[in-house]
Amino acid sequence: MPAAQPATSGYAVELTGCTKQFPTSSGETYFAVRDIDLKVEPGRFVSIVGPTGSGKSTILNMAAGLLTPSVGEVKSFGEPVTGVNRRASYMFQQDALLPWKTVIDNVSLGLTMAGVSKAEAHSESRRWLEKVGLKNFADRYPHQLSGGMRKRTAIAQAWIVNPDILLMDEPFSALDVQTRQIMENELLQLWQESGKAVVFITHDLDEAIALSDEVLILGAGPGSTVVGSYQIDIPRPRDLLDIRDDPRFVALHREIWGRLKVEVSKTYESAMAEEGEAA
Amino acid sequence: MRGIQLLLTVIVLGAWEVLGRAGVIDEFFFPLPSDIFQTVWVWVSSGFVFPHLWVTMQEAILAFLVGAAVGLIFGFILARVRFLERLMDPFLQMFNALPRVVLAPIFLLWFGLGIWSKVAFGFTLVFFIVFFNTLEGVKSVDRVLVDNARMLGASEKQLLRHVFIPSALTWIFSSLHISVGFAITGAVVGEYLGASGGMGYAIAQAQGVFDTKGVFAGMFILMIVVLIIDLLVNRLERHLLRWRPVRSS
Repeated sequence: MPAAQPATSGYAVELTGCTKQFPTSSGETYFAVRDIDLKVEPGRFVSIVGPTGSGKSTILNMAAGLLTPSVGEVKSFGEPVTGVNRRASYMFQQDALLPWKTVIDNVSLGLTMAGVSKAEAHSESRRWLEKVGLKNFADRYPHQLSGGMRKRTAIAQAWIVNPDILLMDEPFSALDVQTRQIMENELLQLWQESGKAVVFITHDLDEAIALSDEVLILGAGPGSTVVGSYQIDIPRPRDLLDIRDDPRFVALHREIWGRLKVEVSKTYESAMAEEGEAA
Repeated sequence: MRGIQLLLTVIVLGAWEVLGRAGVIDEFFFPLPSDIFQTVWVWVSSGFVFPHLWVTMQEAILAFLVGAAVGLIFGFILARVRFLERLMDPFLQMFNALPRVVLAPIFLLWFGLGIWSKVAFGFTLVFFIVFFNTLEGVKSVDRVLVDNARMLGASEKQLLRHVFIPSALTWIFSSLHISVGFAITGAVVGEYLGASGGMGYAIAQAQGVFDTKGVFAGMFILMIVVLIIDLLVNRLERHLLRWRPVRSS
């Protein structure tokens, strides 16, 4: 196990005035996101919800250090993020397991690359595989697993390096509804009392409210920005299988959806307008 | 299926044999299958063919190893350094557009009648196939795999080892069958144009005395050898790419 890094002061993730723009092929400038302010305290679970094309992944990639903002500053525990954010793990929407490595080698990857011996990394991986219910699948290759099992492997791969921050980009969106709820439950159980900060991207408001301490709403893209922030005061531990009937959940959902709806319709209308232009 | 294939072979060879004996096919240009096998047997049993085969194999193996190694290294470097790729692109395209056979005479002058002119010739064939496949293989690596490895703390060297090389391997293997064939083609064609030994030389000698049976026998032996090598490459490929899902095709 790599020793947990000393907890320095400050937010786990702090984006200040972050704008990301790309030059387009027609010579114009495309604004992915504009003036993003995001503060995530250590141990907090924050979700970012927004319509398609609102630049949710861009925000996460800036926090991860995979993208550098065109304007603005990214900090992690008070330190400016230059290059990859070493305090964070990332769970991607797509399958990101290396298809040529077995499950156990995939889970071990973060440790072996940090110089941990293979034997030690494997024994730690076995512990994690047991935790995510895959101890009998250690020697399989990713293509031999179901979608849910691949996500479990990805969770073990991300958690084994004991990061202070977990960045999750619609990690469960490819799963069927039942598997997804089970995975969400397992994620919460792992996260509870782990003290890790989570930034969770989703387009599913139900999922965001059920999991989070705070939900941020992104406006319609391009050049979207944060248009709303809601504290989710549903007590923990939460039972995700029944939470959708909780009156507090219903009230919050109604309130946040009222705001999100506006942005979703905007996105829809501009998409229709573009189609009209094209026709 | 095997039975039908065998039957088809017997029918074609049988018809050839019968038509040849009946004088419908000119035996001089298309020697009888029985005579060809007879010649093959003489070449093999007398040991005549083995020194030639050995020379050709040496040339092919050297051309393949050097061509593949240089192609791999160039492919990896150019795929990782955009500037070099843009710089080298027109030159590589030019050399690739050159029909390689025209190089054989000049290589003969540069490197002499021995094996090295054939190695050089085979190299130009193998290099480009491996190079272009490696370049494409490295460039087409799934972005998300690279990002994930980087987030898990991979250095540039670890990225190469854990992500780029295994990923490019599938491309390299798809080119391996072709490049192995080309290495042998290069050796044989080079020998044919001027050599002191090798299968191409043996075939050229037979042709020189209008021994068509010898020409066909040489072709047949080369065919068998290439088939065996291809089988070995398949084995290696199956082992190294065992992580891949079995495609139902």
